Amino acid sequence: MVDRVVLNNQIHRDVRIAATRPTRENAEVNAISVIPREFPRLLAHYPIFYTKNMETGRFEPSALLGFQPQENLFFVDGRWDAAYVPLQIQRQPFSLFTRRAKDSEGKPPSLEVAIDLSQAVQSPEGERLFLEDGQPTKFLQDITSMLSVLVAGAKETYAFTGRLAELSLIEPVQIEIEFVDGSETKLQGLYWIAAAALKALPAAQLAELRDREFLEWMYFQMASISHVSALVARKNRRLSGVTGPRRPEVQNAGPG
Amino acid sequence: MPARDELPPVRKVVVVGGGTAGWITAGVLASRFPLRGEDGFAVTLIESRGQPPIGVGEGTWPTIRATLKQIGVTETDFLRECDASFKQGSHFVKWVDGSDADAYYHPFTLPVGYEEHNLAPYWLEDPRGQSFADSMCFQAAICGQALAPKQITTPEFTGLANYAYHLDAGKFGPFLQKHCVDKLGVRHLVEEIVRVESKDTGDIAHLVTKSGELLTADLFIDCSGFSSLLIGKHLGVPFLSQKDVLFIDKAWAVQIPYPTDDTPIASATVATAQSSGWVWDIGLTTRRGVGYVFSSRYVSDEGALEELNGYLGARGDPTRDLSYRKIDINSGYRQEFWTRNCVAVGLSAGFLEPLEASAIVMIELSAKSIANLLPSCGGGMRQAARLFNDTFRYRWERIVDFLKLHYVLSRRTDSRFWSDNRARESIPDSLREYLEYWRDHCPWHEDFAHREEVFSAASYQYILYGMGFQTHPATWLLNDRERNLAREKMNESAKYAKALTASLPGNRDLLSKVRRYGLQKI
Repeated sequence: MVDRVVLNNQIHRDVRIAATRPTRENAEVNAISVIPREFPRLLAHYPIFYTKNMETGRFEPSALLGFQPQENLFFVDGRWDAAYVPLQIQRQPFSLFTRRAKDSEGKPPSLEVAIDLSQAVQSPEGERLFLEDGQPTKFLQDITSMLSVLVAGAKETYAFTGRLAELSLIEPVQIEIEFVDGSETKLQGLYWIAAAALKALPAAQLAELRDREFLEWMYFQMASISHVSALVARKNRRLSGVTGPRRPEVQNAGPG
Repeated sequence: MPARDELPPVRKVVVVGGGTAGWITAGVLASRFPLRGEDGFAVTLIESRGQPPIGVGEGTWPTIRATLKQIGVTETDFLRECDASFKQGSHFVKWVDGSDADAYYHPFTLPVGYEEHNLAPYWLEDPRGQSFADSMCFQAAICGQALAPKQITTPEFTGLANYAYHLDAGKFGPFLQKHCVDKLGVRHLVEEIVRVESKDTGDIAHLVTKSGELLTADLFIDCSGFSSLLIGKHLGVPFLSQKDVLFIDKAWAVQIPYPTDDTPIASATVATAQSSGWVWDIGLTTRRGVGYVFSSRYVSDEGALEELNGYLGARGDPTRDLSYRKIDINSGYRQEFWTRNCVAVGLSAGFLEPLEASAIVMIELSAKSIANLLPSCGGGMRQAARLFNDTFRYRWERIVDFLKLHYVLSRRTDSRFWSDNRARESIPDSLREYLEYWRDHCPWHEDFAHREEVFSAASYQYILYGMGFQTHPATWLLNDRERNLAREKMNESAKYAKALTASLPGNRDLLSKVRRYGLQKI
């Protein structure tokens, strides 16, 4: 059960958050939504595809973490096994709570930091959220700015993927993989850049994509696909513990 | 005989009438033949202002999805701008015996195994206490809970269950108009037509507008509604009344607001039988459209209004401060639809009670046929007309049969309307012969002549077995292989129904999401 409450410097003055996040319940996902601003850092480790948000149907970039539901091959022995952790994981157990005051038509809603206290995140040695005088700690300030980056990132994401969809630059991709133990999996619900459509894009639209940074983001994402092999290798290591990396059998040639 | 290339080309089309028929036809033709200019194809639509849409035909068939796609609009824009909702079939209430438990579904999704096997005999043999629709199709369960046929992640125009729409006809025309004019290059004139003038050959030469413009064309499409300006008034093609078969001749229509913004929207058209006809109930996103279609031979206007209010009252709907609209219905169709260089589409071609939402699907089929048959030059016009007339006469006859089927199978005895409907002389021979045949043979593809039937054998199965018709095929026509397949498919279908009812959003929920986020193209 999620137990989300808005942070309050009285009620939560003595709360301490464990430094060894993320917890198992946050980490056990096989894909995580990411934002374009993260792409340069994600590019070192993760394959990024586009997936549909289950609530809205809109496209968003997601880092692929595993091949089965709840399988996160980057979460090993309770620790994150990569130098960069996606912001959506890092931010846990905090989130932004949108408060729309009554009779506030036209005014932007106020954003407040909330915490999910149901998660095993509290620890006596952990970081404090508030100073004695009720002011937020550096730790909480960093959390708050991370959450703001995510909010701004979501806006950029939907402008980005919405435009790609409009230009028919996104297409579904089916990837079939055979693992070292002979088991097979078909990845579904993944989308990537339609290489042919990108090649055929008129110059004016190409320029627009470039000017809005979208082109750069597209290339980061396209380049990241090569990490599918590395992810398969992680899976194979987990399956056998001995065999080295094995190339995935990607059915469609990747764009770029 | 002149060489073919000396004959006048067919490249200029004038559509008369700016209702649903006019704009669908203009949209289908203009999208199929996009080349404009000197060597291109030209579509002009002329309408006189201030003709309110009839507003009875607010239900559609799943064919509408392909038609909208062909015309080139997005499903998101269509749903948003026409207050449209998802329709997954029809729910017939009190048609069989009028009891409280009397109701059955005619869903859009085909019965299980239908692509290859006729499994209806095996349901008849052992229905296991379940209705035909519930056993043979997962969709009845979805409709029963007012669920959507898809998820927000499902691409536009595709569904997890087959579906069509309920739409606001008053908004659908203007929606298509904007697209046809802005995107497809259709010329739009709002002008009164004062005169139609013919050539010596009898073909229509041009229309004369009030401002004096002569509107010439190689083909005129009459979408002028009940006024039948060209096919009826000018060319005098006779109208074949069907009122001896289908007794409905009037309707009371009314709009019912939703009590709250989150009132569920039904996923099927509800058709509830009354003493002298039936009430339609259609849920749009913004309101419900309700109406009583009745036969004035059996009930007065006032009596019908009272019954309609009784229907609303029993549902807890408001019955005060409503504005009721009376509509005359003249059941029937033209003896010919395409004559000389004029073809009628929509109400000018014919109209039947909206029991199975056949009006818009007939417009779509007509537009598609015109596009497919359209000759390059005047020389091919006569043959195109002949083929079109043969096909569409057949289609109208089949629709009349199919609508009449609903009345013939009823066992209601509460009024003469129902017993007279079963009188032998009111039933077309073709339908009687089918019914005789179906006593020992379940409806199947081969029973019908055409490649594209308006109502397939599946629809006949849903109505016949939904209404308790008994077919007794000989035992030697059944076999264990299909018997087992039928069981397997029915079990699968039940499982799928369970999975879908657990995961599909409500019709209202999905429509609100579409309003907010739109549907993806892929």
